[in-house]
Amino acid sequence: MGTSPATSDDGQELPVIELVNVWKRFGAGSPSEVVAVSGVDLKIRPGEFITLIGPSGCGKSTLFNMIGGLEPCDDDGSILMRGRVQQDGELLGKVAFMPQKDLLFPWRTVVDNAILALEVEGVPVRQARERARAMLPDFGLAGFGDHYPHQLSGGMRQRVALMRTFLFERELILLDEPFGALDALTRAMMQRWLLDVWAEHRRTVLFITHDIDEAIFLGDRVVVMSARPGTIKCSETIDLPRPRDASIVTSPEFMAIKRRLLGAVEEESLKSFEAARADARRVGA
Amino acid sequence: MSGITRLTGRGCGSVCLPIVMILVAAALWELSPRVFKISPYYFPPLSDVLAEGWRIRTIVLDGIVRTVTETLLGFSAGALFGIACGVLFALVRPLERAVFPLFVVSQTVPVVAFGAIVIIWFGNTIFAKVVIAFYLTFFPVTVNTHAGILACDPQKVALMRSFGAGPAAIFWRLRLPSALPTIAVALRLGISLGLIGAIVGEWFGDTVGLGVMLIQAMYTEAVVRLWLIILCCGVVGAGLYGAVAFVERRLVWWRSDA
Ligand SMILES: Nc1ncnc2c1ncn2[C@@H]1O[C@H](COP(=O)(O)OP(=O)(O)OP(=O)(O)O)[C@@H](O)[C@H]1O
Ligand SMILES: [Mg+2]
Repeated sequence: MGTSPATSDDGQELPVIELVNVWKRFGAGSPSEVVAVSGVDLKIRPGEFITLIGPSGCGKSTLFNMIGGLEPCDDDGSILMRGRVQQDGELLGKVAFMPQKDLLFPWRTVVDNAILALEVEGVPVRQARERARAMLPDFGLAGFGDHYPHQLSGGMRQRVALMRTFLFERELILLDEPFGALDALTRAMMQRWLLDVWAEHRRTVLFITHDIDEAIFLGDRVVVMSARPGTIKCSETIDLPRPRDASIVTSPEFMAIKRRLLGAVEEESLKSFEAARADARRVGA
Repeated sequence: MSGITRLTGRGCGSVCLPIVMILVAAALWELSPRVFKISPYYFPPLSDVLAEGWRIRTIVLDGIVRTVTETLLGFSAGALFGIACGVLFALVRPLERAVFPLFVVSQTVPVVAFGAIVIIWFGNTIFAKVVIAFYLTFFPVTVNTHAGILACDPQKVALMRSFGAGPAAIFWRLRLPSALPTIAVALRLGISLGLIGAIVGEWFGDTVGLGVMLIQAMYTEAVVRLWLIILCCGVVGAGLYGAVAFVERRLVWWRSDA
């Protein structure tokens, strides 16, 4: 699993982000305490594309919020960036974070939505717009730069949000179920397109998904999270050759990996489902 | 809904139907006193009213200019003050808890009682009327600005924070623009209230203005003139409302939730 203690002495490149025993307890000490994340250890190496999969409510978004600096992790763990421990809020502005919803601003055009982070950084607007316009074709938005979000399809809105994330040039990109709301066909296209963009604008990516095919198709490594309290159950390196095309999902290698992972994922989904039912019974009683 | 859009959407669009309705109303006003033989004391026909308007056109025009000036001054001051207070209350919670109840109490004082005091304080000046228009305008603007800013999507705030944005950047780029549709609703309400404030303010004594003419016509039982002033108030009110709505549609065209 590769969770041995991090050292920079062995000559290896430092991990972009390293999570050491990260916990998140909501309402700690109260009877309604919720342990959302428990004892997560994870090392993300530069340039890696990691997909994180786990049942609904297992703490994936919470983990992301901590890596993005939006919420502190509990005191017994720590988050390191390039080997340096990050204090509360120190990670804000250091990670390109794309939340589950596109969260476009309706009063801004596509280009102006995309440059939001650049504006915050203080890049002159004209220069930022130029950079965004140059990226429009890459993101399948050529000719739509001056459109407003309500004039776009769901897939296009999602690509604008992705463009906004890519323009915020940080080493690590966090993508929280970016394609979760799309139909299967659009979704498959977006996955292939994301790999193309990733190949071109090489970054380190941590990608949340519910979909096991998506996780294997995209990732260098699939990390499976357990039902709540969320912890890392197992992780599997995907050595399918790149560039990957759509037909790879029917190859025997892909199927073999899927079969191995499916067992783990389904067991956890079942657990979280049973837990939800038990909760419902307790509330009902 | 679709029926109405089809009706108005075809041909001359949304301008035509209101004009037709206004012409119908004018025709009814003109014909019904004649057809039903209503005494002009109760309901003079439109042509008499318009003739009176033409006869005293310079006085009417002066009155309109005066009242509109008072309304616009009071409305602008009330809008700015209301937006500023709404923003402050939204950003500084203790201030809201301390001052907002006073605002509510101030609005429970009837504008007539308040008007008398304002005249005592500021005398018979245009300033007194502006203050009353202001008094009626600022409250809805404050309430809506406050609500609009607080209604800002916390996930969008989190997104801005993840970009490293500080409170100022979050306010100017997110909180304020996302509150604008809610503020705009209050401004449309405010311009109508401002006009009422200006007219009522003039009742406490003045020589020029629609409110003054209204009172004078009432005391002298000049019925035709009374109807003339009512018509003028309606036209001015619709015009001011239309102007605010027009500016709003240009500047704040997006919906507040999207
Ligand atoms: N601010 C909070 N206060 C209390 N509990 C919270 C809070 N945020 C999240 N939780 C709880 O933590 C758990 C994990 O939530 P999280 O949103 O991280 O799940 P998720 O894995 O992203 O789910 P999904 O796949 O459905 O998006 C949930 O049970 C949720 O109720
Ligand atoms: Mg989530």
